[in-house]
Amino acid sequence: MAKILMVDPSLCTGCHRCEMWCSLTKYGEINPSRTNVYVVRREPGIDVPVVCLQCGLCINVCPTGALKRDQKTMAVVVDGEKCVGCGKCVSVCPIGVLRIDKETKIATKCDLCGGSPACAAHCPQNAIRYENVDKVAAKRRELWAVAQAKKIKE
Amino acid sequence: MWYGYAGKLLRVNLTTKDIKIEELDQQELRKYIGCSGYAAKILYQEMPAGIDPLSPESKVVLSTGPVTGTLTPSGGSYEVCYKSPLTGTWNQARSGGAFGPKLKYAGFDFVIIEGKAEEPVYLYIYDGSVEIRCAKHLWGLNVEETTDTLIRELDDPEICIAAIGQAGENGVLYAALMNDRGRAAGRGGIGAVFGSKNLKAVVVNGHKGVKVAQPEKFAKAIEKAEQWLQNYPFQSIPLFGTVGLVSLNNSLGILPTKNFETAYFEKAEKVSGEVINKQYNIKRRACYGCNFACGRYTAVKNGKFATPPMEGPEYETVDMFGPICLVEDIEAVIRANYLCNVYGLDTISTGLSIGFVMECYEKGLLTEKDTDGLDLRWGNAEAMIKLIEKIVTKEGFGAFVAQGVKRMAEKLGPKAEEIANHVKGLEVPAHEPRSESKVIALQYAVTPRGACHMHPTWASTFDFGQLECGMKEFGMPWPPEPIPAETPTKGKAYRYVALQGEISEIVGACIFHSWGTEGSCITPQLYAEIVSALTGWDVTAEELIKAAERSWNLKRCFNGREGFTRKDDKLPKRFSQAIPNGPSKGAKVENLDTMLDAYYEAMGWDKATGLPTSEKLKELGLEFAIN
Repeated sequence: MAKILMVDPSLCTGCHRCEMWCSLTKYGEINPSRTNVYVVRREPGIDVPVVCLQCGLCINVCPTGALKRDQKTMAVVVDGEKCVGCGKCVSVCPIGVLRIDKETKIATKCDLCGGSPACAAHCPQNAIRYENVDKVAAKRRELWAVAQAKKIKE
Repeated sequence: MWYGYAGKLLRVNLTTKDIKIEELDQQELRKYIGCSGYAAKILYQEMPAGIDPLSPESKVVLSTGPVTGTLTPSGGSYEVCYKSPLTGTWNQARSGGAFGPKLKYAGFDFVIIEGKAEEPVYLYIYDGSVEIRCAKHLWGLNVEETTDTLIRELDDPEICIAAIGQAGENGVLYAALMNDRGRAAGRGGIGAVFGSKNLKAVVVNGHKGVKVAQPEKFAKAIEKAEQWLQNYPFQSIPLFGTVGLVSLNNSLGILPTKNFETAYFEKAEKVSGEVINKQYNIKRRACYGCNFACGRYTAVKNGKFATPPMEGPEYETVDMFGPICLVEDIEAVIRANYLCNVYGLDTISTGLSIGFVMECYEKGLLTEKDTDGLDLRWGNAEAMIKLIEKIVTKEGFGAFVAQGVKRMAEKLGPKAEEIANHVKGLEVPAHEPRSESKVIALQYAVTPRGACHMHPTWASTFDFGQLECGMKEFGMPWPPEPIPAETPTKGKAYRYVALQGEISEIVGACIFHSWGTEGSCITPQLYAEIVSALTGWDVTAEELIKAAERSWNLKRCFNGREGFTRKDDKLPKRFSQAIPNGPSKGAKVENLDTMLDAYYEAMGWDKATGLPTSEKLKELGLEFAIN
């Protein structure tokens, strides 16, 4: 069965290790401003990892056809040869997990590290996991439902 | 090319408004590795003896090390190095959060702050650019309000802010510098130093990252650290936070209680980590890059001690506002922690200062007339909370308590001095030197900043924890003698404990991760692997230990120049009196001198003065520190 990243914000402590592992894996440096996984820390006491859902909205708006779905991992990946860094994909991404890298000047996003994502392998709290899609779907339903319930209460 | 470091030092003079960016010298830096080690060199060379810490001539160094902000699990640290107005000694106050990493990402390993601004200012450091900005509108605000205002004004929720509250503005001698709201560079009165310079805050953000010399080797070393820390011996730190210690320590009779009269609190379960975790904890919080996440977020929903969400309280804070003051209401303790954090006070010195005046009050050394009518009997939680607010404003009796235990006792006379628990003016923290560890008794007597449980490490790892922390192979006496022993072996052992701890202080790391043994913590050997892959320098554990020794000696020299010698390496009288009850009944410190002799000898220091000999300083390449 295919796998995808699953996030459980209730477990996140805001340590940012996922971001650092991402930049080390992708660029050989430690740089949280060059990462494709994000941890948002706000007060009071909010720590939430944000990862690409691999929804593919970005594929359709790319004028050069640089974005495509990898059939092995099902991740949406950027073809660096074709990308011109126009930023259209960034503008449509609903959760803000695409960026134009400040050094390579091309669109950059999570590619699931080709099937073994570094963030999930190293999350000390298991807040980010690489799981079978059925499990992830169940978790996504749960998070969606909890968010809705909160709205009803408020 | 710099790997592992930003490679730059920022120098800001608040009097002249000069801002200078200086390139660091790789060879020179490598001698000290960084963080408080390199800051010791800066302050030793730039700040002659006798300078009033609260004068424009005093300097402050914000320092990071190679591992700061780099995936090293302990790397969420920075240290503020300065001369303490509370003690007149060297001080280094470490803090976690994200401030240190962001300072490095902004392009600076060190910031030297000099002079005094004419009017309140804050320092804004963003990706290599630096500005001194007006902070008149922030003066008088607490740390929360300051932080909220700056985030709104700068329109950047990702900035990190180290700020003082009203306690620092008003010159409380144990005012803290708070960063990321609830993290404290707490001890020794750095907040008062900031206040004396009219410096309200330092704001940083950066996107430069840290270059890694050998990324694959580095990833392997970090993976090793992650795996080893799975076997960490103090699992209660990640599981329950530091407050897990309250119950454990009480069950062993090592929980400082009633201004250190005893070490056992009958009501300890009421202020235990279990109660905090079950009823008040909102979530776990990590410093930048930390796999443990020992931080806790707590709040009290309602009642007279209702408190908004805030980081802490930590173990030290709980003990000081709980057992030390015989307060059994955990909600009052949580409230006290909140007030200290937002007003910017060191919780240890605040709590023990209150414990001290409570005992003075009970003994008739202070009366209601002195205390502005506050009924300071043991356990009066409401009076304790009121007194914190008076300390911050230095209103009436508050101004007296704001001086700390040493100065209060001097004014109150010999009877008060007998119950004044400080070393060199720094209030004793919540580790009992009579029954927890005799090595920590020695540490309290000799560390550069006074009674300290953190710098260079928590020395109880040796005889209480039975952990050699990777120092056995470098000559540490092993196995340890039992806790009550006060022998030359323990004095000698402290040399190794201190140097192992000092490694964290120079690489820029939290000490927690260094407690264990090969396979369960970050040992000197593993730090050497990490620093080598990070910097591309071929650093061995021996080289780290040598650099640690340099740093440790230099801090001693800093104090020696200020007039501190062996005569000041002593403990409060209370620790020579037997613990009266509880599981450690009868324990006391009897032979400090025996341990001191052996320790000085092991360090290569003069036994009469307790200071490094010129031969030792020559051997370490510290000729400039020979007097």
